[in-house]
Amino acid sequence: MTAITARSTAMRAQTWWRPLSDGAVVITIIYLLLFAIYAMNEPSALSIFSITSLINNSTPLALAAAGATLVIVCRGFDLSVAGVVSVTNVVMAVQPLEGPWGALGSLFACLAIGGFIGLINGYLVAYLRLQSIASTLGVMIVCQGVALVILDAPGGWVAEWVSYELTDVLFGVLPVSGLILLGVVGLWLIFLRSDLAVAIYAIGADETSAALSGIVTRRVRLLAYVGAGLLYACAGYMLSAQTATGNPTAGTPFIILTFAAVAIGGTSFSGGSGGVIGSIIGAATLMLLQKVLFSTGVSSFYTGLFQGVILILAILFRGAVVALAARRSAA
Amino acid sequence: MEGVEVIAKPLRIDSDQHRRAPLDGETMAAFAIFALCIILIVGARFISPALGGWDHVETTLVLASFLIVVAFGQGLVILVGGLDLSVASMITLGGVLSTTLVGSYDAGAWALPAVIVFCGLLGALNGVGAGYLNIPPFIMTMAMGVIVYSGCLGYTKGSPRGSSPELFVYLMKAQWLGVPVAIVFIALFALGGWSVQRRTAFGRRLYAVGSNRAAAFIAGVRVRRITMSAYIVSAVCAGFTGMMLVGYANGATLRMGDSYLLPSIAAVVVGGSSILGGRGSFIGTVGGAILLTTLSTIILALGVPQGWRTVIEGMIVLVALLMLREQLYQAVSRIFSRP
Amino acid sequence: MEGSKEPAAVSAWGLKKSYGPTVALEDVSLTVNPGEIHALLGENGAGKSTLVKIFSGILPPDSGEMTLLGGHYRPGSIMAARAAGVSTAFQELSVLPNLSVAQNLLLPRAEKGLFGLNSRKATEERARALLEKFGLGQLDPRQIVAELALSDKQRLEIVRALSRDPKFLILDEPTAALTDVDWVFGLIRGVAARGSSVLYISHRLSEVRELCGHATILRNGRSIASVNLAGADNAEIFKMMVGRGSRERRRTVQKAKPAAKVALKVAGLKSKTLRDVGFELREGEILGVAALEGQGQQGLFRILGGVERPDDGHISVDDRVRHFKDPHDAQTRGSGMAFVPEERKADGIFPGMQVTSNITISILDRLSRAGCLPFARERRVALAVAEKVELGRRYLGYRINELSGGNQQKTILARVLATGAKTLVLYDPTRGVDVGTKQTIYAAIRDFAAKGGSVLLYSSELPELVEIADRCLVIYGGRVFDELAGEEIDERSLVAGVTGNRRRHRTPVRQETPTGAEASA
Repeated sequence: MTAITARSTAMRAQTWWRPLSDGAVVITIIYLLLFAIYAMNEPSALSIFSITSLINNSTPLALAAAGATLVIVCRGFDLSVAGVVSVTNVVMAVQPLEGPWGALGSLFACLAIGGFIGLINGYLVAYLRLQSIASTLGVMIVCQGVALVILDAPGGWVAEWVSYELTDVLFGVLPVSGLILLGVVGLWLIFLRSDLAVAIYAIGADETSAALSGIVTRRVRLLAYVGAGLLYACAGYMLSAQTATGNPTAGTPFIILTFAAVAIGGTSFSGGSGGVIGSIIGAATLMLLQKVLFSTGVSSFYTGLFQGVILILAILFRGAVVALAARRSAA
Repeated sequence: MEGVEVIAKPLRIDSDQHRRAPLDGETMAAFAIFALCIILIVGARFISPALGGWDHVETTLVLASFLIVVAFGQGLVILVGGLDLSVASMITLGGVLSTTLVGSYDAGAWALPAVIVFCGLLGALNGVGAGYLNIPPFIMTMAMGVIVYSGCLGYTKGSPRGSSPELFVYLMKAQWLGVPVAIVFIALFALGGWSVQRRTAFGRRLYAVGSNRAAAFIAGVRVRRITMSAYIVSAVCAGFTGMMLVGYANGATLRMGDSYLLPSIAAVVVGGSSILGGRGSFIGTVGGAILLTTLSTIILALGVPQGWRTVIEGMIVLVALLMLREQLYQAVSRIFSRP
Repeated sequence: MEGSKEPAAVSAWGLKKSYGPTVALEDVSLTVNPGEIHALLGENGAGKSTLVKIFSGILPPDSGEMTLLGGHYRPGSIMAARAAGVSTAFQELSVLPNLSVAQNLLLPRAEKGLFGLNSRKATEERARALLEKFGLGQLDPRQIVAELALSDKQRLEIVRALSRDPKFLILDEPTAALTDVDWVFGLIRGVAARGSSVLYISHRLSEVRELCGHATILRNGRSIASVNLAGADNAEIFKMMVGRGSRERRRTVQKAKPAAKVALKVAGLKSKTLRDVGFELREGEILGVAALEGQGQQGLFRILGGVERPDDGHISVDDRVRHFKDPHDAQTRGSGMAFVPEERKADGIFPGMQVTSNITISILDRLSRAGCLPFARERRVALAVAEKVELGRRYLGYRINELSGGNQQKTILARVLATGAKTLVLYDPTRGVDVGTKQTIYAAIRDFAAKGGSVLLYSSELPELVEIADRCLVIYGGRVFDELAGEEIDERSLVAGVTGNRRRHRTPVRQETPTGAEASA
């Protein structure tokens, strides 16, 4: 018994941080290393302009990855990110609402769209028990179609307030989009202290045991999809701010990038572990990688190749780490 | 025995459902689909005089041929419980490589089998990742799809050149005794594909793995090898489809495969296979492919804009998934069986 | 007897529950008095877990009535059952591995602090208090459950059930992973002393006797009897659980076959659950394996079947050491070993496929010509082997999930017979199977052995081993603890062996004696 006490005392400081830090620490280190490489090649890398640009570029993907994380932690899949992003983007471009109140109104409209689509996904997967990949793929295609109906070719313009202010810098040093990301991180940290968050992690680890422990698994899963939809809508909103125009296929590149960001951020696809912070940093890393590749002269044709390879390597790496940990604890 | 209250009654042996084996649900689904196709084509005459005749049937069947070939490979992967999201890129790869090798470099007859083998090798990579390395299939194939597409992009520098190999032009355009060669081809392919799935040891093992992976392993099936084989066949079929498309359109484009990804899954699901694997028949998938193609020709003829067409595509998949859930399937099977 | 004049705390009568064609509960009635610790006995497949699920609010019964503390009881969910005062510690532990001890204890609602958010400190404090209260103070509430030993996870499961201060506590195999049971017994007695009722489910009859006064025995989904444990001895209880008398003598005098070749030899086998296992199996022999749950026998069988790999040791088939990469290897190398797993639903059958396909799945290469499967030939082969297990020919065209459990089991047995393997490795092949089918399966096994095949057979029912085994190994603590042959195989000796007690008269065992901790029970 004393051996157990001794070991648990050693673990004491670390255990509560486990859900957050595992993969997130690794990806942060990778990001910093990558940034160092970038800064060495690009002398202007450390300027406010450059950093702002980097953060602006990363924010939409970071938000999308955060949303996808919610679903992946409870061991589901959600391909509809592309659909929500496309629809919110074209809505922003076709119905621009001017001024700060207009921006707020647009935000609510986007959230309503994202939440609604998330609700549909959640209902199909959690209550009707459809297979999550195929059904969210179907929902994504429907959304793509809706986006094309609203705007059949790239065009339109996003409200000026949105595209200027949200990509701007406060007080000359703080990028607005960076603040938004910090806000999301803050919300996440608060959310982690809710029963719903604990329930999401529980379902991801072992749905049966979660049900036996009193968790209403269907409702929790539905809420995870709704939360994801809301975050995808935010991603579309920020993407609109970034591009200032509408594009019905704006969401398409998000599919692979979102999952790659989640994977390298340390969230496991078998559920029950990981977190939003890792995914956000993973997204930032991927966007930075694109910049690094470009600055080292790699043809932009091949970015997809790198993204795909990185995604696979990230999963293999994670699998190896888990296997090693299991072997060490068994010994 | 003191203190024992015995409430014993004669034991009842738990019994089988005494039912005749149900009329094969899959055959029923296939018949239903073909009937629906016929109804649609006949009904299409009311929409436009250009539709509803033999010409329409011919065109539909030729157009459906691409989907039929892709859906065979996709169907095998779905049968073992996976999903191949790389088919769009593989189609593009097959098209791009065949036009470039044959058209530009005039490479000769060995080139086409080489393209097929190359696609097979890429499919094997999918199989290694999904079967041996435990990477979730949809991630592995999605990543592969992006990698292959990126490769095509780089290889063609954004604009594919070259012309179609004669063999495939012949396949897709020529006629024998008034019947397009393509139709003869898909008839043979449908028969062949169905036979492989239903009447070979390979096909049987696919069903077993999809039905119960753990049991298949214990029963001596080499699960990982079979899974990899399914992905290889899927990649080969997709590559071949690319070559067919090139023969039909006499050139390759980089996005030529995109419009076949979701329909390949839809054809399989609409045709009665379970998205979770372990159940389904290729004849049903063929029917599904023809049905989807029929629907899309009619929708096109109706002048429905691209956006709505896409919405309908997505809705079809969702409806098919909803209707083919396990509970519904069993309920319908029970209707067709007799006590 | 305690409080027999008071109204029952918990009662159920006429409970029925079916899953499609399978009848799990036929007609179950049960009464537990306030302050009573009542045992629920029955072999695997008798319906115990279904009954637990119904009481716990997970499943509704198809028909029947339940009362709790005098009121009608029909919980619509687990939380409803909890609210009514019912709490369960499940056999399949329901603690979440990725959460901390404290989080698990308080699921689904943690202690709240500022702004209604979960307070880590308050949750841990409350958890610590609970752990102390129930004698688990040595567990750190912050520790992630995945890092706990299995026995600690089980203790946590039990404490979690107790912490809700239930009026009706259900414990399903609570001591499966525990070596020291006094702690649990103390807690249970405390619960009963406070007036709550306890339903105790266990295979370990000695524990049941120590703790409980009365027991209800389930068999094939029916409650057969309610027994005063003081007045019934083990033999009577086994008879009620199993439905026929246990054999006091061997069925027939075994013809001596000393000269038979060794078909399978295992030496020094080590794995996660096996310490050191070695034995020989000869041609024509049925070698039984007796063990309580979790003694390593499952690992042993899975290794022999090629499903898992041992860490160390040798397996020799036909005098050649073999290393099996997978079950396919095990079936095809040498004279072949075919494995029937414990759970047919999870690991055995292919639900949507026909019975014929289920039978021939392992021999497809042999049947096919140039890759094609001739249906006529397949059917002929399936028919031939189905006859050996008395599986009616009309079943061949059915989907296997429409068959009864017994016929499904016959199908799987037919499958391994069809492989032509000379050695069969059968893990509890008659689990959850009706009496008639059991006899058929025994006959098929005996027939197989008589023709020169070898059989390694694990059964959780000791009477079955008595009836069918020529020799019997007893596995305890990951080792071969004892070996009985011929006349020596009787229930008393087996019961002694599986609980780690030495028999009075026995043949010397080849291994070193176990340590003191194992020898005491």
